[in-house]
Amino acid sequence: MKSIRRGQHLITIMLLIFLIGFGYLIYRLQRDSGFYISHASSASLGCVYDRTGDVLFDPHATAEDYGGDHFVDVGNLIGDDSRQMTNTLVSQNKAQLANFSFMLGEQKDGKAAIHTTLDHSVNRKVYDAFGSKDGCAVAYNYVTGEIYVCLSRPNVNILNRYNDLSTLKEGSLLCKVFYPTVPGSTQKISTTIAALESMGYETLCSKRFSCEGVYNNNHSQLIKCHHSDGHGTQDIYDAFANSCNPFFAQLVEDPDWTLADIQKTYRSMGYRVNGQGDQGYLDINGISAYTASTDVSDKDDFDSQWGCMGQGTTLVSPLQMMVWQSAIANQTGCATMPYLIAYTNSVGGDRINEAVTRTGSEMFSARNAAYIRDIMLRNGKENYAEILPGTDIGVKSGTAQVKNGTEENSLLTGFVDDKDFPVAFCIMIENRVRGEVSTSDIAGVMLQNLKSALEE
Amino acid sequence: MYKNGLSYAGVVSLLLLTHASMLGIVLVRGNYESPKDLIMLACAVLGLDLVGIIASLCYRQMTYTLDLMLLGILNMSLIFQSCFGGVHLSVKFLITCVASLISCEIGFLLTRNHEWIRHQKKYIYLVIGILIACILLFTGGRSMWITFKGFSIQPSEFIKPCYILVCAASIVELHKKIKVTFFYVSPDTLCVLGATLVIFGLQWWCRDLGSLPTFAAVFACAVVCRFCYPRAKISKTWIAVAAVCGVLVLLAAWKLAPAYVQERLHVDIWADQYGSGYQQCQALIGIARGGWLGLGPGQGNLHKVFAYESDIVFSTICEEWGLLYAGIAVLIVLIMLTTVLMNPPKSYYHATMTAGIVAAFVAQMSLNIFGSCNLIPFTGVTLPFISQGGSSLVTCGFMVGMLKAGQSPLFRHKAEKLREDAAAELPSLPFLHKKNSRKSLGNTPQNRRPKV
Repeated sequence: MKSIRRGQHLITIMLLIFLIGFGYLIYRLQRDSGFYISHASSASLGCVYDRTGDVLFDPHATAEDYGGDHFVDVGNLIGDDSRQMTNTLVSQNKAQLANFSFMLGEQKDGKAAIHTTLDHSVNRKVYDAFGSKDGCAVAYNYVTGEIYVCLSRPNVNILNRYNDLSTLKEGSLLCKVFYPTVPGSTQKISTTIAALESMGYETLCSKRFSCEGVYNNNHSQLIKCHHSDGHGTQDIYDAFANSCNPFFAQLVEDPDWTLADIQKTYRSMGYRVNGQGDQGYLDINGISAYTASTDVSDKDDFDSQWGCMGQGTTLVSPLQMMVWQSAIANQTGCATMPYLIAYTNSVGGDRINEAVTRTGSEMFSARNAAYIRDIMLRNGKENYAEILPGTDIGVKSGTAQVKNGTEENSLLTGFVDDKDFPVAFCIMIENRVRGEVSTSDIAGVMLQNLKSALEE
Repeated sequence: MYKNGLSYAGVVSLLLLTHASMLGIVLVRGNYESPKDLIMLACAVLGLDLVGIIASLCYRQMTYTLDLMLLGILNMSLIFQSCFGGVHLSVKFLITCVASLISCEIGFLLTRNHEWIRHQKKYIYLVIGILIACILLFTGGRSMWITFKGFSIQPSEFIKPCYILVCAASIVELHKKIKVTFFYVSPDTLCVLGATLVIFGLQWWCRDLGSLPTFAAVFACAVVCRFCYPRAKISKTWIAVAAVCGVLVLLAAWKLAPAYVQERLHVDIWADQYGSGYQQCQALIGIARGGWLGLGPGQGNLHKVFAYESDIVFSTICEEWGLLYAGIAVLIVLIMLTTVLMNPPKSYYHATMTAGIVAAFVAQMSLNIFGSCNLIPFTGVTLPFISQGGSSLVTCGFMVGMLKAGQSPLFRHKAEKLREDAAAELPSLPFLHKKNSRKSLGNTPQNRRPKV
């Protein structure tokens, strides 16, 4: 009989295993049902709002209700449920937006909603400020992480239901803030941080390099300066403000630091160096944003030096450039992680999923953050004071050669040195031609309007 | 004697209440074009209930739980199947339900006497051989289905109970060994191992790998039972060797599985929502849409997805009826399987047989439910008692009959004691007492015997 009892035990074990599995299945169905329903072809979704309650997405929106171009500045950021765009707020957060609960099933008149940190009014003004130019702009609170402005041109008007897909300009369906671009001389921020980390502030400040308009490096390759007459002998402050290529080429070659030092700081800042390791991405409420990558294999070689000045194979997303500003502005060396969703409403209308400020790990020391901040603030004071009169801003501009040097993108990244208005930003204008709207013009529109909006 | 858990009246009331409530839901929330459809369904369900209850009353009854549970789950399935995509009586399913109930009785009658069925093993091997031959000769290529004039039969389903029986027989007779050169081997063990290899090979060849885990579960269960057998005298070394061999076989199967199986093992269904993950994604979306209470009978969308009534039937039920009713259906099957814990078998043959049946049902339910819900790789097997498929339902019925038989074996030398026990038990069954009291003393050795 003992053996029969063992058989009974075996049956009990089998039934228990099944019951445990079934229990786990119910738990998973309960937990993930929102995700499942978000993949349904006809899910009932709620609206997305900006920080003032203005609608950024309405599944039932029509041109008559909102005006023909109400969503034109946020089309490729907020997106919609059409599956035409995948890396957007709506497509990545359909589970939270779905009017659905597992207990009651689908609720056509549910109150599910997403409330974002964006300021639609300012966003639209910045969008318009680009005029006919394409590019992108992003700004956030470097203390809390709230993204106030995020736009990309060209954009898509979701009210047109993609009837004009064939006529849409290239890049309309993605928000360039999250995608890699050649950073140009804004890369010199990273290179200066790497130099500070490796050789220290005093040593770096003691360095003097001469610019004659062109520099013949250790491999006898020419590094040209944008100022063909040359900047003369400069220290790091002057060279940073002048964005002097020969200075930075000589700095990279300097024997007081090694190739490994540069690579180490780049890696800790989030770069993928020389294709080693996995490419990093930032997660902005489900939206995936490229971090940075570069190739630096020989300090004396043109390509590596060119990469350290933000040309060649170096790629950084505008969002990442902005995030680095938080680590500088906060003088901590740690980035404040940006977010778009302030909170959500459940199907019943309850306020849930309140955003929490998160800080990244230390990328560089707080002391060096303070030094680079000082360098950038001096540049802002001397060259960009008109952007936000009466307030100090730290900035670095850049010109990136793209399409084999046939076009140049203009970039500007920086931060506002104001406790009551702690904003970091990054702006890029594609194929900018002298005389057209500049990045500092757009920065002025963005910061001045944003300051007014936040003070209201 | 049998323990039934609930009184006869209680089980019958629960049965009727469940079906009546489901028909009520169809009336209120169902998607039907005319009341005629609903009336036909109600007549079929309640009629089958009535016939089943009357038939059970006609027998001298010592057990009723399994019979009524089988009737209950089959009628639930009839309602489910008749409502997918719109209410209309599924006559085909009704016929297979009746066949399943008859099959249950046949299974019970054939296997209740463990001494007798044990000695029929050569005929069982013969049946397995015939079924395999049918698969090889009549299925037309590497398939498991025989199609004849619109009807499809899956002979491999019928192999399941036969395989369980030969596994049980081999264990009871494993002490009968013969000397081959230097080794003592049990011919029965060799036979069952041979049958296992042939069945597994056939499944592999026919690319019906979905059913393979079910047979593997029965085999594993038989191996464990063999270790538990008092006369086995198996050393720990042999147990360890068997475990290692099992793991190696699993690893080999994992590596050598065909491309389509490998794909299912590694597919990210949401990344390929409209490709190889389509069925599972739609199944999970369907469950989510249904929630706990469902969209209403016939109101779902899953009936547009391939194999909605068989491979992903759990999700189809969840979508239309809610997880609540799908859970009740699963619970009823589990209760059927737990009756064997209330009435332990009296012989080792029946103990091994019932363990094998539970293993087969649990494996198949797990494969279907957890597979369609993406907890494990999707295999595409039927859900016992619920999925559409005549072969599956008839086999399930037969195995329930075996399960019932396994709970009350007939021992000649205990006939007198059984008779006394039966006489003591019967007064507690008021439904049956009046009818059977005069005859009960003369006929009680069998737990259930038709009137002659």
